Amino acid sequence: MNIRTFDVAVIGGGPAGLSAATAARRCGASVILIDAFEQGGGQYCMQPLAFGKPSAQAHLGQRLIAEAELHGVEALYGHEVIAAYPGFRLLTMDGTGGAAVAARAIVAATGAHDRVAAFPGWTLPGVMTAGAGQRLAKVHGVLPGARIVLAGSGIFLWAVALSLLERGAVITALVEARRPQAAMFGHLAAYPERWAEAWTLFRAVSRNVPRIVWGQLVAAAGGTAHVDKVSIRPVGGGPAETIVGIDALLVGHGFQPNIDVTSLLDCRHAFDESLGGWHATADADGRTSVPGVYGAGEVTGVSGARPALLSGEIAGLCAARDLGYRVPGGGGRLALLRWRLRRARRFGRGLGRIFAPLPELADVPDNETILCRCEEVSRAEILAACRDGARHMHTLKTWTRAGMGHCQGRMCRMSIAACATAALGLEGRELGYNKARVPLRPVNLERLLAVLDAEEESRT
Amino acid sequence: MTEPIELSINGRYHSVPAGISVAAALRLATPALPLRVSHRGREPRGVFCGMGVCFDCLIVVDGMKDVRSCMTAVRPGMRIETAPT
Repeated sequence: MNIRTFDVAVIGGGPAGLSAATAARRCGASVILIDAFEQGGGQYCMQPLAFGKPSAQAHLGQRLIAEAELHGVEALYGHEVIAAYPGFRLLTMDGTGGAAVAARAIVAATGAHDRVAAFPGWTLPGVMTAGAGQRLAKVHGVLPGARIVLAGSGIFLWAVALSLLERGAVITALVEARRPQAAMFGHLAAYPERWAEAWTLFRAVSRNVPRIVWGQLVAAAGGTAHVDKVSIRPVGGGPAETIVGIDALLVGHGFQPNIDVTSLLDCRHAFDESLGGWHATADADGRTSVPGVYGAGEVTGVSGARPALLSGEIAGLCAARDLGYRVPGGGGRLALLRWRLRRARRFGRGLGRIFAPLPELADVPDNETILCRCEEVSRAEILAACRDGARHMHTLKTWTRAGMGHCQGRMCRMSIAACATAALGLEGRELGYNKARVPLRPVNLERLLAVLDAEEESRT
Repeated sequence: MTEPIELSINGRYHSVPAGISVAAALRLATPALPLRVSHRGREPRGVFCGMGVCFDCLIVVDGMKDVRSCMTAVRPGMRIETAPT
């Protein structure tokens, strides 16, 4: 296997990564883009399969993908980065093999995934993230269920409801943990350019979803081999109500940054639940704490699609400039982009604060509830570890195995943090996060050895 | 609309749209069937994150274990097994 060398390697092909790749390329840098999916677009601009009907976001994605290709960005689609070393060297794997990439600069545009909170029954088939339901429908043209409930918090639930309704879904209820607040309307009022979008969303969902419930959380999901009911309860306390006859429960509380690559490269991270939790810190030019590593998009703090596009472009331009390339438009262009980014972030980050997870999410009544899905670690085991003296995520991990499994702590992060910080009287920041390790994804050992052998051969 | 393709799920043949994910195909063909059972508690599991990061949706494809159904496209003649781990 040959090591392919580039000026800039962009990890993640969503709005931020595509923008960064094109921007760096336009400065004259050689650029490679690496993305786990067969088609670019990431989550926000996910591309439908050939027979699908593209959404507005998909059209944006098509434009970004085409622009990157037009400008000569090399792309490794269907590849996941499994290792990253200073200098920089990346090892990727795909379905059949892998690739080795050397780059002078890295743009980490690794995005985010749905942020989830545990509840009894959340591991049942048919219980999935809102994003999973959206992807099944938008990309594959398949509805996640015949009778769907959406529950959690944040505007994304409404966006997913719209995607599903547009494809003929029957949605029984949408359950939002927050109550309507003046702040929600006040925030929207300050951004007239969003009114049309908000109105479309509100009208379609309220007309076609018979129950929109505010101020309630999922108490439990029930079913034998598949979910068939969900009970919800008021946030402040009160009797639970059961919604029966469902076959899909889509859950989520906004998004959580995917910090595996930035963590592996020793970047500094900060904690803010309104930004999705732990995120890579980056300056106005996208520079992380590690020279040569830039952050773009949701990984630097969940802020939405427009900030992703802008921060991606900025990071791409600055990565190229720091390597000695000239930015077309120079300092003026960058200053304008930074200004636009600051404004764009205010909208998304404001939403993140308004819909920040409620502390009541930590109140899981049943201590037998599995918090770590991968290693099947219960809430009781986490609490026992806290009582035994654990005060950091790493200790919880080594004592209980929570976070050691396939997903490396992504799905359980918020639940364990909520449980442990409440039990210990700590802040989320103090609990810390687990450093990423190689390989960044579980890989087939035989295949990994083959990839490593090939990479070793090419270096000798 | 693309031509449907044939694949087998636990030995039974099904017709599904070409190019969709195995997860989507299972949702169409065998919606009530769990994808696997968990290691410790032997509890049924299915698709959770849908984007390749949770590793809950693992099935056996053409004899290869631990394949993420949400990240794998169907192929004609594919042998899918929803196996207990």
